[in-house]
Amino acid sequence: MALGLSLVLASCGDGKSSGSGSGNGVKSEIIAIAADPLEYINPLNENGSPGIQVAMAMFAPLVTTDPETGKTVNVLADSVTPDKSSQTWTIKLKAGNTFQNGQPLTAKDYVDSWNMTAQGSNAWKNNGFFSKVEGYDALNPETPDGATPKPTAVKTLSGLKQIDDLTFSVKLKVPFSQFGLTLQYLGLAPLPEEVRKDPDAYKRKPIGNGPFKLDGTWNAGEDIKLVRWDGYKGPNPPAADAITYRFIPNADTAYNEFLAGNVDFVDVPSTKVKSFKTDAPDQWVTSVSSGANYLVVPAWDARFKNPKLRHAFSMAIDRKAFADLVGLAEPAKGLIAPDMAGYRDDACEYCEFDAAKAKQLLQESGGFSGPLNINYNTTSATGQIFAEAIGNMLRQNLGLEVKYTGKQGSEITELADTRKLDGLRFSGWGHDYPSIEDYLTPMFKSNGDANFSGYDNPALDSVLAKGDAEPDSDKAIAIYQQAEDIALEDMPLIPLYTKSNAYLHSAKIEPRVSKYTGVSALYSTFK
Amino acid sequence: MIRFVLRRILTAIPIGLIVTLGVFALVFAMPGDPLRELAGDKPIPAAVLAAKRAQFHLDDPFIVQYLLSMKDILTGNFGTTFAGADIRDQLALRIPVTLKLTLLANAFQWTLGLFFGIYAGFKRNGLIDKSLLLATLVLLAVPGLVAYFAAQYVFGVELKWFPVSGVLEGFPKSYLLPALVIGVLGFAGLARLMRTSIVETVNADFVKTARAKGLGEQRVLWRHILPNALLPIVTFVGIDLAGMFGGAIITESIFNLPGLGQFMFQAIKLKEGGVVVLLSTLAFISFILINLLVDLLYGVLDPRVRNV
Repeated sequence: MALGLSLVLASCGDGKSSGSGSGNGVKSEIIAIAADPLEYINPLNENGSPGIQVAMAMFAPLVTTDPETGKTVNVLADSVTPDKSSQTWTIKLKAGNTFQNGQPLTAKDYVDSWNMTAQGSNAWKNNGFFSKVEGYDALNPETPDGATPKPTAVKTLSGLKQIDDLTFSVKLKVPFSQFGLTLQYLGLAPLPEEVRKDPDAYKRKPIGNGPFKLDGTWNAGEDIKLVRWDGYKGPNPPAADAITYRFIPNADTAYNEFLAGNVDFVDVPSTKVKSFKTDAPDQWVTSVSSGANYLVVPAWDARFKNPKLRHAFSMAIDRKAFADLVGLAEPAKGLIAPDMAGYRDDACEYCEFDAAKAKQLLQESGGFSGPLNINYNTTSATGQIFAEAIGNMLRQNLGLEVKYTGKQGSEITELADTRKLDGLRFSGWGHDYPSIEDYLTPMFKSNGDANFSGYDNPALDSVLAKGDAEPDSDKAIAIYQQAEDIALEDMPLIPLYTKSNAYLHSAKIEPRVSKYTGVSALYSTFK
Repeated sequence: MIRFVLRRILTAIPIGLIVTLGVFALVFAMPGDPLRELAGDKPIPAAVLAAKRAQFHLDDPFIVQYLLSMKDILTGNFGTTFAGADIRDQLALRIPVTLKLTLLANAFQWTLGLFFGIYAGFKRNGLIDKSLLLATLVLLAVPGLVAYFAAQYVFGVELKWFPVSGVLEGFPKSYLLPALVIGVLGFAGLARLMRTSIVETVNADFVKTARAKGLGEQRVLWRHILPNALLPIVTFVGIDLAGMFGGAIITESIFNLPGLGQFMFQAIKLKEGGVVVLLSTLAFISFILINLLVDLLYGVLDPRVRNV
């Protein structure tokens, strides 16, 4: 899930000085991950929350978000400098860092690792990150349906250049002022030369460059046991001496393991949102609301074409009541998450609940013909409940005839991608890097990666391009906000709610809670 | 005897083909793109998708995909899952887990079922018989899911008698609680069947004859009643043992036992036809073998149906 991923990605750095230490002096914690055990650890081939969470302990990013101030600070990078147009970025590494096998960390490790990932035939999951870099298309030629992509003759991105031992530059296809922020993604971590030669041989014995390394051997299906690596010289290392990641695929079982005192940290599953405060009094923390959840209006269905109709839908929804139903949620007041720089809580003119105004807008738009279909995900425990809640509001406040269709999530996505889906559906988004641009480009740019509604507005595209070319971050934010205004006026996505996550922690640890980076078990302090 | 076994195995081959083809068709017919399911909400680049599709033959027509899967299974070339796990390694790790769970659960179920069934059969309308009837109704009405989570919470979290989940504490400790719950939920049906069978046999003519001949009560019980009363039970046990695999999907998920059931659940979720068919084939083979054993056992218990 995108939302889970973003919270994990965003938490690194800081750490503060550690607590007074636990009983036997060794500060160790067991963190439950409600997912199937990992098959390998390779940050470049990993974009899921569990894998990135483990990678965060073993690898260090170039830059990170300071949990106190929300500003971007250097970790392995000494400097990240754009040229005037924000198209070419020069990255200088700090001297003296090494991998856990002793190999010095150099610019070559980044250039070679990134080239490997950008090579389409390797099928590594973070390949898409490099699509912004000049030369990407040469490494990812169109493959006819059914054919196996062949390794290309070109092995390197033309935009990626090593300048000296510690410096390299990245030339992008088009200017992109937010590129510096994207460098905090753990999925860009370099692999040492030894691993690059034969990544498969190292899939269960990764060699990182972060604060923790594998403790002993790690076999399929087992817990991942990590110990502090003394060679890590980055700023503010975590306080723990040892960390165990335990995989418990059933989230309710993981929760029970916590209640029995067998793990130190666990996510609260959606089934326990109403009961966790009494189950574990004084042992829970919640994150600030993050991510954003929407009702998607299909741009391919002419019946929804009039923006007034979408505004009518939006104003017919009682967001407060809906957020209460969701639990740990806040009504949305715009299209981006409230923890982003550039968030405005007065951005959305049509997000207030006003049944009379909604009815009037519906009338002005010419009404809606036929029953309104709401699609929900049958594999989600709450899909049907949420769909019916929204459906009832639209039915009662607008007098529409509403029906519901339950399908598997992947089928809904597939139908939407081929523009065959009938009616509304739900979707959510969490950022990969902390910029409002990472909400606007993926979902509202005409060829955005996550353009759920099939939305296409050249005016918005050109505003985004202007923001991408603006090197001053405050000015860029102001431009991106114009793009948000356009998107709210057209409203291809109707904002619904933003959500907090809850976590339980044992008495011996205190997880780090930041309004910028969420909740982090890795950076817990010990009592 | 050997001809009987051979004939059974030969007839199993076409059935196996039909079963695996049917299972594969069901997985194939499931809506949604498997690679999308794997990726969650994040977009996957076209090149990555194409490479994965080619690796798992996802672009081929149904029958080609099926034949390629069967070829892989028959040649022992299992390959990897979508997530990159080596399937041979997974089987080696998971088969013992499911076997331990199933055998322990059956041991509980048979012990309880036979003991209470036989006792109730001989002491009809006694206290045990009546409580058994009540227990049967209650136990059959409890959904497995509820019972597993309740047992986990009460005996694992609150009382701490058993580990909550996982196999970290090894055999038998990690398996005791799930096996006990399966055994307790399942023994009632077995006990009822055993009781009825005993009751019927006790009133049969040959038992009266044996009594009339003046045989001792112990001899009548052990030599005449029990062997005959056990016949329907053997059939029940054969089917029940094979059906345990289906139940393992829920139990292994809740108790986090990394066995075949959990593997199957994951494969169905991700629409991994190859893995589902492989596991179905394993289940099918064990079903055929167990039923073959049951049929041979019949002959030992009842010479009239001996397969020579």
